Amino acid sequence: MILTKHACCALAHHYTASRRGGKSLMAVALLGVIAVSANAQDDLPITISGFGTGAITKTNTDQAEFARINQVSGSRKDFRTSVDSDFGVQATAKYSDSLSFTGQGLVLKRGEHDAYTGKLAWAFGKYKINDDFSVRLGRIAAPIYMISDVRNVGYANAMLRPPTEVYAQVPMDSIDGGDILYQHSFGENTLSAQLAAGTTKSTSAGTAATTSIGTVAAQVTLENGPFTYRLARSQANVSIHSRQLDQLVGAVKAAGLGVSEQLDLIDFKGTFTAAGVIMDNNNIIAQGEYAVRKTDSRLVPDTTSWYLMLGYRVGKFVPYYLHGDVKQDSIRSFTSLPTAGPLAGLSAGINGAIKTGEQSNNSIGVRWDFYKSAAFKAQIDRLSPRNGNGTLINVKPGYNGRDVTVYAAAIDFVF
Amino acid sequence: MKTTIGKLLLVAGLCAATTPLFATEIVVIVNPKNPATRMFSEQAGQFFLGKSAMFTPIEHTDGTLRSEFYKKVLDKDAPQVKSIWAKLVFTGKASAPKEYASSAEVKKAVAADLSAIGYIEKSQVDDTVKVILTVQ
Repeated sequence: MILTKHACCALAHHYTASRRGGKSLMAVALLGVIAVSANAQDDLPITISGFGTGAITKTNTDQAEFARINQVSGSRKDFRTSVDSDFGVQATAKYSDSLSFTGQGLVLKRGEHDAYTGKLAWAFGKYKINDDFSVRLGRIAAPIYMISDVRNVGYANAMLRPPTEVYAQVPMDSIDGGDILYQHSFGENTLSAQLAAGTTKSTSAGTAATTSIGTVAAQVTLENGPFTYRLARSQANVSIHSRQLDQLVGAVKAAGLGVSEQLDLIDFKGTFTAAGVIMDNNNIIAQGEYAVRKTDSRLVPDTTSWYLMLGYRVGKFVPYYLHGDVKQDSIRSFTSLPTAGPLAGLSAGINGAIKTGEQSNNSIGVRWDFYKSAAFKAQIDRLSPRNGNGTLINVKPGYNGRDVTVYAAAIDFVF
Repeated sequence: MKTTIGKLLLVAGLCAATTPLFATEIVVIVNPKNPATRMFSEQAGQFFLGKSAMFTPIEHTDGTLRSEFYKKVLDKDAPQVKSIWAKLVFTGKASAPKEYASSAEVKKAVAADLSAIGYIEKSQVDDTVKVILTVQ
């Protein structure tokens, strides 16, 4: 019943989607059609599963908007569904015991346009070499964060959304290429490792496209009883295609301001190194990540971000507390630039472009497993931006950097 | 009269001894051709949480037997297990176990697959499957 209702919501969103997303939406719809026909014939080695979140989000201000990464608009004082809602369908076809194909279609509000768009989140062929090793080719989830590949699956997480501070640092969702997966159990331990390589592309608000060629991402995970430990590093040669930034850097070069060699836009190196822990012991749940972003271009500032979530399971309820923080490690302004005279405007422009949002966040929330494959969540965030607007977007001149409260409620489901 | 009541009580007592009234005895089963002979509770549990792909878990649909198995072997409740599988499925790492509505069907599925592992009531065991663990 609930599923049907949400499927309808998702369908309604299909119609409001932009023309640009039409093709991908068709792919998602097609997956849905496969889903129906596969369900009809139980013997086919195709399994269909899906997930979704229907959510409403609002804040206590109209002077700035709360959004997730790559969203053009966010939430203000009125309730919006677009920040935290999504819908995904996944199909896996098993060709033999060792060969399978998986595709996942995802509808959410991300990217350069302020509309729900469908995309092929991933599509890969997986070959199981033996009990320990597998290889995958195609489009795979970029293993950048600890919950990279389930960050859109609300049901698989306690929190209503992935912590904003850490999960806004790298906009890449998937890698076109492949990976090698290793998994081995010994005693009570399970060791997993993944090495992925390929190219990735991300289109964000303000028509800036980011391309990373030669992306290499590696992660090692150790599960020991109630504990999961993870170490990961991603590295890429990044290129940013943005007319605005091109013009800005061009003007700096033309004016001979002497900092242009620190303002690479094409083929500069970027790394993201992260450590994480998950604990699920009896009724106590804890999850934390610490991440460092470093690049060779000041236009993508270096950052340190982290969060810690603590929860306590009481029957079907998990109340939790979350603290997150992001700070900039690289310089927030070039002191050598003229602050007066005809070039002052250009200086201000470039000094604005090398800053990133700094903030901390305190959240409380609760997950309630009210139905066998659906959960209700409510979360209140208190964002405290530092030295500016933090991760808030579309900020109006009247906003003075004060704390913003975000209210959200969601129903997550899987099928 | 007295003897009849005595006999009844005796029969009732015997019944209680062999089949406890309040808990079903659960056994973990594999294919008879599977070389495994015994297994610890933790070992069996990891297959039903997707931590190892060496054996293929065969699941029951939602019900009391499944809840009891989750509680006794996995020390988790149904939403927790569902959430763990959601993580595995949507990362493309594993497919959720096939679910069957009765122990007879689970038994049939285990008997048909060399690498399968399942669980049923002890009273349902026959020689089409091999018991490798009795859940305490």
